[in-house]
Amino acid sequence: MGLDTFMFILVSGVLLGGLYALMATGLAVVWTTLGVFNFAHGAFVALGAYIAWQVTQLAAGGFGFVIASVLSVVVMFGLGFVLHFALIKPFERNANVVLLAVISTLAAASIIENSILLGWGPRDKQITPPIESRVDVFGASINAFDFVILAIALLALFAMALFLRKTTIGRTLRAAAQNREAAELMGLNVPMLFAITLGLSAASAALAGIFVGSIRFINPSFGADPLMKSLVVVILGGVARFSSPIYAAFVVGIAESFSAYFLGLYWSPAVLFAMMIAVLLIKPEGLFGHRSKTL
Amino acid sequence: MKYAPPFQRTNGFLPVLLVFAVLLLLPFVVTETYARHTLILIFIYAVLASNWDISLGYGGIVNFAHLGFFAIGLYSYAILGKVVGIDPWLALLLTPLPAVLFAALLALPVLRLEGIYVILVTIAATQLLQQVVVSQSTYTGGTSGMVLLPRLTVGDYKLSSDNRIGYYYLGLGLLTASTFFLYKLERSAMGRAIKALRDNKYYAISRGVSEARTRLLTLSLSAIFPAFAGGFYGAYLRVASPDVFGLGFLTITLSVLLLGGVATIWGSLIAASVVVGLSQLLADYGAWRNIAIACVIIGVVVVYPGGLFAALQELWNGFDRLKTNLLASYRRRTSAPLRARAMGTADQLIETSHGQVSVCDTQVGEQAILFIHGNSSCKEVFRNQFHALRDQYRLVAFDLPGHGVSPNADPENDYNLAAYAQIARDLVDRLKLGNPIVFGWSLGGYVALEYAAAGNPARAVAISGTSPVRTFPDDMPRGYIPSPHMELAGKRFHSPHEKTQYATHTVGLPKHSEPLLWQAVWRTDGMARKQAFAKLQTTDWQRQMGVIRDGNVPFVMINGPRDPFINHDFCARPEFGTEFAEKPILIDTAGHAPFLELSDVFNVQFLNFIRAVEGRG
Amino acid sequence: MNTPLLELRNLSGGYPPVSVFRDVSLTVHEHENVGFFGPNGHGKTTLLKTVAGLLDPWDGGVYFAGQRLNAEGAMPARTSQNLNYDLFRKRRIRAQDVVDAGLIYVMQGNLLFPEMTVEEVLDIAPRAARGRPGVREMRAQIHELFPRLRERWQSKIRYLSGGERQMVSIAVGLMAMPRLLMLDEPTLGLSPKLRIELSEAVRKIRDTGVPLIIVDQNVEFLTSLVDRLILFDHGSITREISAQNMPDHAQLMEMMFGEAH
Repeated sequence: MGLDTFMFILVSGVLLGGLYALMATGLAVVWTTLGVFNFAHGAFVALGAYIAWQVTQLAAGGFGFVIASVLSVVVMFGLGFVLHFALIKPFERNANVVLLAVISTLAAASIIENSILLGWGPRDKQITPPIESRVDVFGASINAFDFVILAIALLALFAMALFLRKTTIGRTLRAAAQNREAAELMGLNVPMLFAITLGLSAASAALAGIFVGSIRFINPSFGADPLMKSLVVVILGGVARFSSPIYAAFVVGIAESFSAYFLGLYWSPAVLFAMMIAVLLIKPEGLFGHRSKTL
Repeated sequence: MKYAPPFQRTNGFLPVLLVFAVLLLLPFVVTETYARHTLILIFIYAVLASNWDISLGYGGIVNFAHLGFFAIGLYSYAILGKVVGIDPWLALLLTPLPAVLFAALLALPVLRLEGIYVILVTIAATQLLQQVVVSQSTYTGGTSGMVLLPRLTVGDYKLSSDNRIGYYYLGLGLLTASTFFLYKLERSAMGRAIKALRDNKYYAISRGVSEARTRLLTLSLSAIFPAFAGGFYGAYLRVASPDVFGLGFLTITLSVLLLGGVATIWGSLIAASVVVGLSQLLADYGAWRNIAIACVIIGVVVVYPGGLFAALQELWNGFDRLKTNLLASYRRRTSAPLRARAMGTADQLIETSHGQVSVCDTQVGEQAILFIHGNSSCKEVFRNQFHALRDQYRLVAFDLPGHGVSPNADPENDYNLAAYAQIARDLVDRLKLGNPIVFGWSLGGYVALEYAAAGNPARAVAISGTSPVRTFPDDMPRGYIPSPHMELAGKRFHSPHEKTQYATHTVGLPKHSEPLLWQAVWRTDGMARKQAFAKLQTTDWQRQMGVIRDGNVPFVMINGPRDPFINHDFCARPEFGTEFAEKPILIDTAGHAPFLELSDVFNVQFLNFIRAVEGRG
Repeated sequence: MNTPLLELRNLSGGYPPVSVFRDVSLTVHEHENVGFFGPNGHGKTTLLKTVAGLLDPWDGGVYFAGQRLNAEGAMPARTSQNLNYDLFRKRRIRAQDVVDAGLIYVMQGNLLFPEMTVEEVLDIAPRAARGRPGVREMRAQIHELFPRLRERWQSKIRYLSGGERQMVSIAVGLMAMPRLLMLDEPTLGLSPKLRIELSEAVRKIRDTGVPLIIVDQNVEFLTSLVDRLILFDHGSITREISAQNMPDHAQLMEMMFGEAH
């Protein structure tokens, strides 16, 4: 294996890591705040990609891509916001909320996936990337757009972290996540804050979906894979800090990239899931942090 | 002590027998292949979902690898039958082995984790399994799966012949066996250990339930029948594909479980028919079908999280309340002469602050005696006193709400000791009973004490078949002898057998000698039974003890030595003694209702007490 | 002095289907401090949580400064055990409305937000008092009241001791600019030294003119602070004692439990 191959694998691993970070953070934020796992997260990724694809069909080029991204992110924020009231809020005072939310989000995923099938058909599609040029990194020829994706993904995560830490509304979001009753006693509208959280998560999923859709083919059921990968990332990293799943995402991305090269496509997911079970057995709180959930 | 009657003596026996008979005969009516195919799928989903309840419902282990058991069953059948080439029946029989092995392996991480982590590790395990299956394409056919699996035959007869009649009965047999297994498991010591570990882990462990062993067995036991179902599925459809790992299959099975209601065996059977039936009905609509099913799932889960079985039970509850109320109003009109003959006086409905009650009042006499009957009984239980004492005292007895010929009342507000005591107070005011002597039997004994404790006018209080309670619930096991009949007292629905048991033990008389009392057990609103016991904890027991302790109201206990419920040693404790009787007065050989069984002896003792009270001034 | 500030009219409530307190009527006037005393597990905290809007009252009314905070009429009975009533029925009282009206409840043993720093918590606390004057002054006052917190400004709540957490809880309540502050067992489980420190702070708060409702098990602490003592037993008010006849611990015990306590 030459340096060019190594660099190629490494860079594509880092790129994957960036995408996984975006997806997994969305999932982790919902888990830590609402206390449930959102099994429709993969479907959010898929729907975000399809909305963006539709817009790029109407307005091509770099400008179209930007419009498509913004529109898709905004629409998905709204959808996430609304879905909180349909899927999770009804059980907020039910002791079985975790299980009930699993089934309601699974059903929502089924609705979204089948709606995509109805609206756009089963055939593979791809969003035309706005930048086609390639750059040379230590002999490996890599799409320039990949670096743009990585940069934007990291920027988006950074912005989200800043929003949660420094702005008052971000802080109230964290407060509602950490102690619901105390937040209510401060006069905060907790259901609204939870809805915003799910909206943010859906928006980040949409952004990830757009990027995935512009480097790979998409079809109505492609959300299952991002969902599973996000799960692996969240478990591996834990949710002790906002940044924990991000580190884990890069570990997973690079590990996947290398294992795909050395072990083949079929075995690389098996390696990931075996890693996940091992981590759950040895350090259930994740590789990066103590046993607590927070933002 | 747990009351668990054999299945043929419970209320569920007849409906289940009926459904089984219908399913047994259904193929003679439903001959079309597609309809039978749908029924076979329903059986498979019902087996899958109801066995999931062992881990998810009863065990509280949110095991998302359950469909992995099914997949292992399917692939073991396929590999054993096609690649290894053994007899298909033997292959089917062997399917649980690898599945149980997988379950046991799964128990290792599950034991170490809790809550949402269990969901995640089991999902990961299933995904890992899928990857293994997909990557070993030499044996498993990879992503495209395996086709033309060996079919099941009996001699030369193929089970798929005659529109799949053989598979239909095999599927039904599987479902029956699985349901029988679940029913037995739930009622076994193992089943109780599984539930105990779910409800209060540390308490269960401290009582000697081994967590590791129980969890391991929970998962292993839940793997047996899904594996059979997987093998059966493979033999029936003759296809094994990795689709069984998909989210779609998971969603349908989980929705069968949740729509039916978690921790109910029968719920899965009902929900499987609804979900699979709907899905087969809409089979031609493709994506729309999936959307419709998902909408139904969300709708039911959001609006009625209890599930279909709970809905059925609530309907049955409503029906039962309606039935008992109609029975009461029917009897009020038709059996009035019979009741008047028994009591020597006709009864009338009187409005109180807790609904209408039927009251029998002899009206003549200076001193009034108010009689309060017990759980699932009626005022006619005091008929011997009404005949013997009516010349000397004014006698009043009433049917508690939901009992006898009183109408049913609001379960939340009217079926508790405080409400019953308030009814007694209302009657004292309405009928101008002055300062009555109050006699309470069994549950009525607590009503009498509560009446006095609330500061209502009472010249004296006597109770029978009741153990005083100092602290609740600690004194319940001390004051009463644990027996299955105690459990019946607070049970909402009684099967005919249970009603007979309860009636003969409380009244202590053979079946046809006391028709009115016999009917009363049948008539009693199940909610009254349930609520009166459920709300015992809201009673101020200290205040009741104050009545006995302070001695301002003369008090005595009159019991039957053969009473099967109360603990006589407990009742004889010195702290319950009064100046009238240091220990409870015992009536010869009487049982739980001495005033009815040996009324002559009882009346003498009761009058002695009253005279002593009157003598005191 | 005699305008009613908080008024409870025949308030009943609990955790359905278990009724915890029944027919509680109480009037707290402007500039009046009221103490609650009663055995544990008899509904004091449930009552305060209901008034604060965390639990739905079953019946009766909560009035604050002349304004009704809860929905009219009794809570309709639940006829089905499994139907999701949260979906069909609106909350009968909203914590937000209660807080906006200026009625602030400081929970007992509150963990607050374990992963946030004291500074962050106090930053979001005045959200409830938007537009009300004096928020800045209040922050300064908190520095004065709880000097101990000043050195812990950047610590996460998780790392604070129980007493310090209690101080932050009270500070959060104060930042909402309360017209009436309800303190639920502020000295519960504290060391004697911290207890004294906290009692002093509560006294200072009272002296600044914020009316208080205090629940506590420490009779001396309670009687030294309040104008009126309310005995709460078995889910209802059993007796009210005015400032002139404040009892000591032994007298109080006898009042509550009779001779046989």
